Amino acid sequence: MNELSFISHEQEGIGVHILPTQKFKTTTILVHIQLPLTEELVTKGALLPNVLQRGTEQYPNPAQLQRHLDSLYGAIFNAGVMKRGEKQIIQLYLEIANEKFLADSRPLLEEGIRFLGEVLTRPLLESGAFAKKVVELEKETLTKRIEGLIDDKMRYANQRLTEEMCKEEPYRLLAYGIREQIPQITPEDLYAFYQDVLSSYPVDMYVIGDVQPDEAASYLHKYIPLTASGTKKVPPTTYKKAVTKEHTVTEEMSVAQGKLNIGMRTQIGYADNDYVHLMMYNGVLGGFPHSKLFMNVREKASLAYYAVSQLETQKGLCMIMSGIETANYEQALTIIKEQLDMMKRGEITDIELNQTKAMLTNQLRETRDSAAAIASMDYNGRLSGRRRSLEEILDGISRTTKEDIARVAQKVEIDTIYFLCGKEEAK
Amino acid sequence: MKTKRYERLNETLYYEQLDNGLEVYILPKSGFSKTYATFTTRYGSIDNEFRVPGKERLKVPDGIAHFLEHKMFEEEEGDVFAEFAAHGASANAFTSFDRTAYLFSSTQDVARNVETLLNFVQKPYFTDENVEKEKGIIGQEIRMYDDDADWRVYFGLIANYYHHHPVKIDIAGTVESISKITKELLYECYETFYHPSNMLLFIVGAVEPEEMMELVRQNQAKKAYDKQAPIERFYPDEPATVARQRSVVHLPVGIPKCLFGFKDKQVGLTGEELLKREVATEVLLDILFSPSSDLYQKLYDAGLINSGFGADYSGEPQYGFSMIGGDTKDPDALVSMVDTELKSVLAQGIDEEAFTLSKKKKTGEFLRALNSVEFIANSFTKYRFGGTDLFARADILEAMTFEDVSARLKEHIDFNQFSVSIVTSPEQ
Repeated sequence: MNELSFISHEQEGIGVHILPTQKFKTTTILVHIQLPLTEELVTKGALLPNVLQRGTEQYPNPAQLQRHLDSLYGAIFNAGVMKRGEKQIIQLYLEIANEKFLADSRPLLEEGIRFLGEVLTRPLLESGAFAKKVVELEKETLTKRIEGLIDDKMRYANQRLTEEMCKEEPYRLLAYGIREQIPQITPEDLYAFYQDVLSSYPVDMYVIGDVQPDEAASYLHKYIPLTASGTKKVPPTTYKKAVTKEHTVTEEMSVAQGKLNIGMRTQIGYADNDYVHLMMYNGVLGGFPHSKLFMNVREKASLAYYAVSQLETQKGLCMIMSGIETANYEQALTIIKEQLDMMKRGEITDIELNQTKAMLTNQLRETRDSAAAIASMDYNGRLSGRRRSLEEILDGISRTTKEDIARVAQKVEIDTIYFLCGKEEAK
Repeated sequence: MKTKRYERLNETLYYEQLDNGLEVYILPKSGFSKTYATFTTRYGSIDNEFRVPGKERLKVPDGIAHFLEHKMFEEEEGDVFAEFAAHGASANAFTSFDRTAYLFSSTQDVARNVETLLNFVQKPYFTDENVEKEKGIIGQEIRMYDDDADWRVYFGLIANYYHHHPVKIDIAGTVESISKITKELLYECYETFYHPSNMLLFIVGAVEPEEMMELVRQNQAKKAYDKQAPIERFYPDEPATVARQRSVVHLPVGIPKCLFGFKDKQVGLTGEELLKREVATEVLLDILFSPSSDLYQKLYDAGLINSGFGADYSGEPQYGFSMIGGDTKDPDALVSMVDTELKSVLAQGIDEEAFTLSKKKKTGEFLRALNSVEFIANSFTKYRFGGTDLFARADILEAMTFEDVSARLKEHIDFNQFSVSIVTSPEQ
């Protein structure tokens, strides 16, 4: 597994990370820009990549831009934002065929990086700002995207829980920004913001594929010439917050199935020594089909189709999600709380412990087969300030004991219970 | 064991049909950490009326193939997930219109996990009690899909296309239809469709082919199967026309969903003909609706679509249809603009340059898909059941001509075969 290590070079807030591997038939190139998650920046941060991907100096409209990508053997390109703890990450992604597998011998790696450079550094401008028509259209698209959150009830319930639970923390914000702020953004504002982003925030670039590292690095320097980045510091995510009381929030909507989501604080971040134990905690509780939630809420009580838990890695949260009949709320909540109490008491069988170890190990090893997952794991480490090798995590998992998990469980507290329930049945 | 070499793709496929009829395919992938295996029966939600020669013709409740898939995971000794988990394998299953697949992926103990996969699928354990219990779980799965706007708009369009064909029925059935499922019916379906001669095993990833094949041979040799004559499947007569031209469903959504497309008139193609039609349709839809098309550009500029807009084609021996659309603030305006633009394309024909570009794009897309072991195993099986070869796609695409796609334009884009499905908020 050691063959998969990045050749990294960092200078003035610009990181270049290259992984040569013959595993893939394509090359994946990623550019990540890190912004603090704040009310002031988040909406512009979300709008910016959408505007950038609609046109450049050389490819002034989306159809021309897309045709260029098509001519590069259907290179996949997208730009967007994601939330990593209390940071908003602008991401540009390009996956391009490796010419080795094609009859054509066009240098696709160089073409690909040149294209990303074009999108990032030579946007389509008119009178010293982004094109007004493009900005207006993308504002509307972003508005619809935020309004459309409600269409996926599972995600909606999770976001509503996050908002309730983190009312006073930046983490409440959606990566897509705040809908009410969108109308005020002008092409000039956004352009000024863009210039600030490129000159002031940390950038990390990844290239993964069958490439020569020196060659790939030289293309990045040539076509994405960012030099003075990283002058602004992005504060670390706060993940320690005492829970004073358990909150309950109920919301009614005309839905067939109720969504019971429970947010818990773990007080443990990715960089902490206990993080690997927290992964084990989550695995035993609700990460897999052999876990306590699945076995008890679904298999034994037959109350749900899904009952799972997942970690919000950077923020130290553990979120439980389940879809149930509205009338079964009390019963489901009681069963879930019983499982949490068992975790605290260390009532974990050898079978649960060993199966969770085997499953987590497998899950982590499988990430090695996806270029995007390899980059994501490395980047998560950089964001948290502690990079762990896969071997280190696997070793930590294999050495985890029930006592380690119970110790972690002592720190985990329910902060907020959120229930999205059907209208008729609630009355 | 035979081998097939695909020089350009740098892949070698190993295969054998065992004495009991099971087809086994193995594709070693160098450098990969994981192995992915699928064990698939040619049995899906549309197979609800059938007969094995010598037995009676049987009509079964909607959703039973999917119900059976759920129940296979329960063994007398306990839960199959636990057995996989003990050996670090992540297991799952899915039911589609015409297949039920059981699968796992793992980075260790692959031989053991392959045995588990074969053994649990070949050993049913249904009791009155465990069948009843599953009704609650699947009931919640159905409820979850009831709230899923994307799912509803998708099935809405299929139901618009088909008068009688069971492809229009929800894969999981309804709470009412699954209430009629009994353990006896499950055994009946199981005995019929889970015979090895109706199944295919595909293993791809970090494996040594000869060793793996030997393991499968030995595992199967231990199990006694009587020879089974081919299963007769009965489907209702389906008119060529669409059942409905338009449907609207009300759900609380932030932005309406709209899917539209065309139902194929001609069915019954198999083998290379079927694959050719599929590839030609995909190239056609790409030319007409991809982000590099004029139509996409116009719709986007008019604010009628977002980046989720797309087009897709399903072409099986029994049925064929396209599905185009996504989120839109104004479904009627979207459909009206598409109508006008497509009629002008029909009059003028497609652009030759767009055709060349699209072919290139599809070539790269296929290479990229081959990075995914999941794609390889699932698609290979699907094509094999349709009598074609996944890897032959590359050659068929290469040989595809402008005339082929132009002919497909005239055949498929036929407004007599058009339908639209909309999901929108009650107040909108």
